[in-house]
Amino acid sequence: MPYATLKPVDRRLFLHVVAASPLLASPAGDPVYKVVTKYAPAAKPGMPGPYPGQVVRVRSEKSIDSQADKVDRDIVRQMLSSGMRALTGDARNEDAWARFISPKDVVGIKVNCSGAPRICSAPEVVAGIAESLVAIGVPAKQIYVYERFDNQLQSVGYPKYLPQGVTVAAAESNRGSILGYDPRTYVETSFFGEEDTRSNLVRLVSETLTKIVNVPNLKEHQASGVTGCLKNIAYGNFSNVDRSHRFEQTNTRTFIGTLASTEPVRSRVVLHIMDGLRGVWHAGPFSNSARFRFYPKQLMFGTDPVAMDHKLIEIIEEKRKAEGAISLFDRSREHLGDTSDPNRNHYIREPGHVEYASTKGLGVFDNARILLKVIDL
Amino acid sequence: MLLLLAALPGLFWDGGADTAAALRDAGVSHILAPAAKSESWKGVAGITAGTADLEKAVKLLSPTVNYRTNQASASREPWLVHNGWKLLRQPQGRFYYDVPGEAAALAAAEAFAYGANAMVKTDAAGLKPFARMVDFLRGVNGDDLPPVADFGFIDDGSATSGEVMNLLVRDNLLFRLIRAPDRALKLTVRLGSKEYPMEDAKNPKAIAQAVRTNLTDEKRSLRIYGSAVVVARVTGSAGHVRVQLVNYAGAARKVNGIRVRVLGNYPKHQLAADDNPGEQLLDYTVESGATEFTLPELKTYAVVDLSR
Repeated sequence: MPYATLKPVDRRLFLHVVAASPLLASPAGDPVYKVVTKYAPAAKPGMPGPYPGQVVRVRSEKSIDSQADKVDRDIVRQMLSSGMRALTGDARNEDAWARFISPKDVVGIKVNCSGAPRICSAPEVVAGIAESLVAIGVPAKQIYVYERFDNQLQSVGYPKYLPQGVTVAAAESNRGSILGYDPRTYVETSFFGEEDTRSNLVRLVSETLTKIVNVPNLKEHQASGVTGCLKNIAYGNFSNVDRSHRFEQTNTRTFIGTLASTEPVRSRVVLHIMDGLRGVWHAGPFSNSARFRFYPKQLMFGTDPVAMDHKLIEIIEEKRKAEGAISLFDRSREHLGDTSDPNRNHYIREPGHVEYASTKGLGVFDNARILLKVIDL
Repeated sequence: MLLLLAALPGLFWDGGADTAAALRDAGVSHILAPAAKSESWKGVAGITAGTADLEKAVKLLSPTVNYRTNQASASREPWLVHNGWKLLRQPQGRFYYDVPGEAAALAAAEAFAYGANAMVKTDAAGLKPFARMVDFLRGVNGDDLPPVADFGFIDDGSATSGEVMNLLVRDNLLFRLIRAPDRALKLTVRLGSKEYPMEDAKNPKAIAQAVRTNLTDEKRSLRIYGSAVVVARVTGSAGHVRVQLVNYAGAARKVNGIRVRVLGNYPKHQLAADDNPGEQLLDYTVESGATEFTLPELKTYAVVDLSR
């Protein structure tokens, strides 16, 4: 199954709606965002979806051999089935999936390859999701595994794991090319006087996909604190986003939630399955040092990215504490520096982006209102 | 026709008549030679020669992009080496480039975009790129439209003023030189004024940012998204705008798509791009008082004519 690159579509669509407004009465100093989209919210947006504040965690010691770094595909299938049934309460795997996706849908599986090949949405997990979609009648040709950067995507080798007919697609075959992005759906803001003030949505998302399954990893992130559900559907679906973290003090706190809540992203992302077979607790989203990798051996399920990312913060905090590293919430400048030291970081982290996203209606942040179901296989 | 010919950059070639075959092979049929050699070109088949003296022309920089990979740069903005501001400062000047290889095409494109009276001195490797570009430029209709400007800049002729103009051109902030404030323009920029103090001009980028802030992006006649290495030259009058786009990385790498926003409603368009004759603009929209389009590929130079 060949890799495909998103082709620009020369259509004479006219922008019907230009929604331009500052986001909210934000504290002084927060950027002002102009959201331009013609897409109206769905009657029932995918986020926070039918299960706000609910998170299912499925853990299996056998899911990955941490010595050999090898995933057990059959165990992963069991974890996927168990997690989906626990989330929905359905007895049958197919019924659980059918709550979110129908055979008519064109489904995107948004993977995360920023740390590839050492850490990424595991092909065994992604394949298990694609198999589940095929099992409920979604034709393989209507399934797209996608990411922004082709070189990262190719380094994983998804095609050999996937059902025949599934397309693997990248928005940028040439790094920096804008052709894989929708010129009429974007968030505009100026962080530091940069000339290119637009971040455009991946064209595949706006023009082709009707549903998206988000498959982030379980990672710390140098700028945003963690990179989980929210960041993968925000920075992973829009162009020109690294401009938010060119300086020690970043704009990730407000930018991530703003992008994630932009239509049609908010409506079309219907399910999140966080791949935590492997994890990164420092110097993420990359995984250049084995020292900072670990093996949580779990998958998390939900429709509420805020609640799931809140749990992600807890996991990373716990791991960092165990390793004797400073908290994700540390904001002291004395800890800025070379990330080879787990008590140093290039940026002031912004894990507050998760709580901020809750103010955009994307989910539940209050821990007292989050229900976590834990399953050990 | 004469105006058009004058705007085409000429090839300065100091090789002897024994290099005629290389010129013919590259597609060069006319050269400018130093006086000492011009006589030797008389009667050479397929090549006509004029006389030129580089000593009487201003040497320009070799246009290029310095990605500054060895420097920590928070903005990661590549540094463009361009001559636009010099050409604007001396519209009647005589210039020359001394550029090797592919850069000869870029130099020719830059000179043409600004309507400069310029020569390009190059090496054997630069003959074909130069000849191809000039051949392409010859097919572009002449442009006698006035420059589109959002603000006026009062140039005191100083090096500081030049550096600010350098940044303004590089940031696609469209201006024309004025001697006194012009009410037809949205802003007047004079270094040393209250809005643009000389102290700030020590950092020309700060002045460029201040101009941009005062002008506001919404009121800018031109915006470019998707590339930091493209500079536009915009000319026009009521009902017709010409956008010339120069890729300063063109000698090394093409730009894979740029989005261009031009203030004004222009439902008709015509594109000509070097080395890409069939290229079409994508996602063309005219709405909210602006025209936008995507140029899918820019090798070195393209011209987009917009009209009502």
